[in-house]
Amino acid sequence: MEIVKTENLVKIYQDNGVPVEALKMINLSVSKGEYVVIAGPSGSGKTTLLNLLGALDKPTKGKIYFEGEDITLKEKSDLAKIRLHKLGFIFQAYNLIPVLSAIENIEFSMMLLGIPEKERKEKALSLMDELGIKELADKRPNEMSGGQQQRVAVTRAIVNNPSLVLADEPTANLDSVTAGHLLDLMERMNAEKNITFIFSSHDRQVIDRAKRLIILKDGLIES
Amino acid sequence: MLLKLAWRNIWRNKRRSLIVLISLVVGLTAIVLTDGLSNGMMRQMLFNQINLDISHIQIHKSGFNNNKIVKNFIPDYKNVEFVLQKNPGVEAYSKRVFATGILSSANNSSGVTIYGIVPSEEAKVSIIKSSIIDGKYLGSGKREIIIGKKLADKLGVEVGDKVVAMANSSKGDIASDAFKIIGIFQTSNSEYDKMTVYVQAATEQDMLGIGDNYHEFAVITKDYNKVASIQNNFEKSLGTGYEVYTYRDLLPMLIYQMDLYKESMMILNVIIGLALIFGIINTMLMSVFERIQEFGVLMAIGMKNNRLYLMIVFEAFILGVIGTLAGLVFGLLLDIPLAHSGINLSIFATGLESFGIGAVIYPVLSVGNIINAVLFMPIVAVLGALYPAYRAIKLEPIYAINYV
Ligand SMILES: Nc1ncnc2c1ncn2[C@@H]1O[C@H](COP(=O)(O)OP(=O)(O)O)[C@@H](O)[C@H]1O
Ligand SMILES: [Mg+2]
Repeated sequence: MEIVKTENLVKIYQDNGVPVEALKMINLSVSKGEYVVIAGPSGSGKTTLLNLLGALDKPTKGKIYFEGEDITLKEKSDLAKIRLHKLGFIFQAYNLIPVLSAIENIEFSMMLLGIPEKERKEKALSLMDELGIKELADKRPNEMSGGQQQRVAVTRAIVNNPSLVLADEPTANLDSVTAGHLLDLMERMNAEKNITFIFSSHDRQVIDRAKRLIILKDGLIES
Repeated sequence: MLLKLAWRNIWRNKRRSLIVLISLVVGLTAIVLTDGLSNGMMRQMLFNQINLDISHIQIHKSGFNNNKIVKNFIPDYKNVEFVLQKNPGVEAYSKRVFATGILSSANNSSGVTIYGIVPSEEAKVSIIKSSIIDGKYLGSGKREIIIGKKLADKLGVEVGDKVVAMANSSKGDIASDAFKIIGIFQTSNSEYDKMTVYVQAATEQDMLGIGDNYHEFAVITKDYNKVASIQNNFEKSLGTGYEVYTYRDLLPMLIYQMDLYKESMMILNVIIGLALIFGIINTMLMSVFERIQEFGVLMAIGMKNNRLYLMIVFEAFILGVIGTLAGLVFGLLLDIPLAHSGINLSIFATGLESFGIGAVIYPVLSVGNIINAVLFMPIVAVLGALYPAYRAIKLEPIYAINYV
């Protein structure tokens, strides 16, 4: 099943009146259960593409289909709903809400879905247990290392069983060993739960372990 | 969970939240205190007037209030007494003979109002009996008089001295009689003390030649807030030929002044409220701008705008509620002892006493005022958060996530 598809996607930013063509003509299709890495040098348009796939931004031209539905022209609130129900996000850093503990951060996205408190707690705990971060439950983000924070972020991203998890350079701030652990985790979730991942990276290790590699250059897919 | 989040966000920047809290507490304390003080002052002014001679309701022959001449006495006072005794709203009443005249001692003379009273009745209606500072209150003896301290000073007399009272009689000639001073009173109103004297009703009736008639009934009701309906009742039962006035009719200037004062207190509260609102807008804006990146993450994971808006308004609301509770405790802690001991304004006392207030003000807090103040602060806090919260939800998620 096709999760997300783009058709002749173009994104042009206005940088102080100067148009910047961040994406030139992207045609891409990702199916359920895929594990895709978008690689490319800095400035090649990786973040821009992920933002569009994640319904955080709108394209200048072209179309985006999410689970077969054209979401290109949808309202802001509809996009928020899609993000809430269908998508999980992992950012480079500062993913977590600083005043909430790890488990509360994970519960938060369930709360937004209206899941009752007891169920939230149980589900968050069992998933944390499964991912081996149960002992972090009551820690606040500033009491955790970068790698621990990212693992909590992964847990939060997948707790609502999203169709697609998007991660923009999730290992960028981690050392290679920690990055390796994070990749293990994501690969495991992909294999065990059949969760679709798309993430960007210019990290050698990540690229080497990609199951499907898309290389961006100057806003175009090179291969 | 949204409340929990809001609560924790408040304590992220403790100093800033404390400053907001303190400003709310100071604002509320100021409102509670000034409200209590002005309320107390107004009530004291009103009650002093009521307790001196105004009472709650006065009944006369119609036309008397505009033309206080001796022969304008009540034609059938027994009828009035009958009506008063029948009415369950009446607490007490006093029959009074009224004349204006001159009181002279060996040294000096002064214009006065001469009240002829039934001492036991008057004692239940006014504070004159309890205001005696020298000698004693009127009893059954004839040709006895009690006068104010200020008047005694002016005439150079004391208890035991003789004075002569003169007034127009009902026939139009000058009546006079000699009295022995048996008591001197002092009230909070020195002007009143200078111009008012009390004698036995029977003595004054004889002197004026008005038989056993009276000019005035002064009535104290059980609830002074219900005077209007009792007034209505009296008017119906008495029919024409009488005039029935409440203290509101008799003290138009004071009532007007009180209304004016209430309004100016409201304006003061609005000004305090506005100052607080701008303080909160400023603080909440700062706290919103510090968290743009975080709001971006919240939006990205699907938090809807209305929830985000609510969260920020909650933060201010919680501050408002804490500020209110603290302010209330503070304000009451200050107010309650003051309500007992009063605030001594004796530096200004001479001025205040001629206004009929008294040197010591007892703050009065009405439940209504407290409720208003309690509702006021959280509303103020929420109003102050509306704009900052609006700014937060107007953020574009990608702009916010990338904001550094
Ligand atoms: N908000 C923006 N305004 C203007 N230009 C932008 C903006 N965001 C990105 N760009 C430009 O678009 C191009 C692609 O950026 P980006 O998607 O961030 O690349 P990557 O994530 O691969 O480094 C770059 O040239 C960048 O300067
Ligand atoms: Mg990037």
